[in-house]
Amino acid sequence: MSAQRPPVESGQAFVLHAIAWRETSQIIELFTRQHGRVPVVAKGVRRARSALRGVLQPFQPLGVSWFGQGELRTLKSAEWQGGIPLLQGRAIFCGFYLNELLLKLVVRDDPHEGLFDIYTQAIQRLSEGDALEPVLRSFEVSLLRELGYALPLQQEADSHKPIDPGANYRFEVERGPVRLREGEVHAVQLSGKTLLDMAESRYEDPLTLNQSKQLMRLLLAHHLGHQDLHTRRIIQELPSL
Amino acid sequence: MSPHPDRLLRLIHALRCLPGVGPRSAQRTAYHLLQHDRAGALVLAQTLTDALEGVQHCQQCNNFTENPLCELCASDQRDGRLLCVLETPADLLMMEQTRSYQGRYFVLMGRLSPLDGMGPQDIHLDKLVRRACDGMTQEVILATNFTAEGEATAHAITELLRPRGLILTRIARGLPVGGELEYVDSGTLAQALLERRPSA
Ligand SMILES: [Zn+2]
Repeated sequence: MSAQRPPVESGQAFVLHAIAWRETSQIIELFTRQHGRVPVVAKGVRRARSALRGVLQPFQPLGVSWFGQGELRTLKSAEWQGGIPLLQGRAIFCGFYLNELLLKLVVRDDPHEGLFDIYTQAIQRLSEGDALEPVLRSFEVSLLRELGYALPLQQEADSHKPIDPGANYRFEVERGPVRLREGEVHAVQLSGKTLLDMAESRYEDPLTLNQSKQLMRLLLAHHLGHQDLHTRRIIQELPSL
Repeated sequence: MSPHPDRLLRLIHALRCLPGVGPRSAQRTAYHLLQHDRAGALVLAQTLTDALEGVQHCQQCNNFTENPLCELCASDQRDGRLLCVLETPADLLMMEQTRSYQGRYFVLMGRLSPLDGMGPQDIHLDKLVRRACDGMTQEVILATNFTAEGEATAHAITELLRPRGLILTRIARGLPVGGELEYVDSGTLAQALLERRPSA
């Protein structure tokens, strides 16, 4: 027997996505608390009697362990932790949307403990039937902040003057809010109140909801580059969703 | 320069369209067919061409069939008021094995899977709407999988069909028949508790 055993890592995780691999296995993209995004092979999980089959579902907190290094690691165990009811109805699509953002904006093996907690909280809120849009907007703002692109929402670009809730602004990517001149119109126009609401995660005002959605779409498009968001497209293709 | 003749290379490449077959097993399969089972390979080639030419989607239930209508849809022994929606032909076989369902079927041939880019067009939702709105159907039974994708699919179909005056139901989930609490997984038990019903 070789004395060299591969070191085993373990901790809390969510399944972000799974794809079939070879005859009976899956490649699973995990979002772990301590190690960020980790791809693992779940061997034999597609066999009819695999005990892991029902456990490795998205939107459920799991305790996992894995070993190995590099492109693909091997899943050793996964245990259901519970505490978050299964997502229902439209909330499932929102959950997929959050997962797609993480898959496309967070690089592998870059730990983000804060983001893990923010994601857990967002999934929890989706599962409790909270209004969906506010959960998505708060998550998007927090996600960018955790990735190092915090939005300046309380001060004007350059001058750093406090945002005037009664004024209108446009948002320049990587600079911040720029006050519109009298009579000036802009494709993505934001009231000062919208910006201040977003800074405090307040989304009761329909105008805030509408304008923040446009702003986040603009900013996410910038960070995603030419990557498309499948989930957003599919939600739009479902007429009555 | 590849040591393989061009036709062999093309065979190896073509075999990779099989699910779960990577470059190595494609190469192994190609060697095997050419070296040890040329007769089997010929049968495979001919039946594959045959199937491609002769198998189509049933006009009504979308399952594979050799005729415009499959046997189940052509039968007059089934209850047209019930329409059961499934992900795959394999699911339909399982359902038939229960011998407890006499209604009709619709096979989606997949599921909504937003992260893989699988949307409504990929699962024939327009065809399902036409099928369900035939004037006969009263209840649509959603028997997609209890995975996130299966649940999302069931929800989308519900949203699509309920405004058209149909009754939408979802198959129940919970402990397996003869299941003992001690041996059931926590996720199933937790969900069974959430979805408990009045005791008979
Ligand atoms: Zn048919």
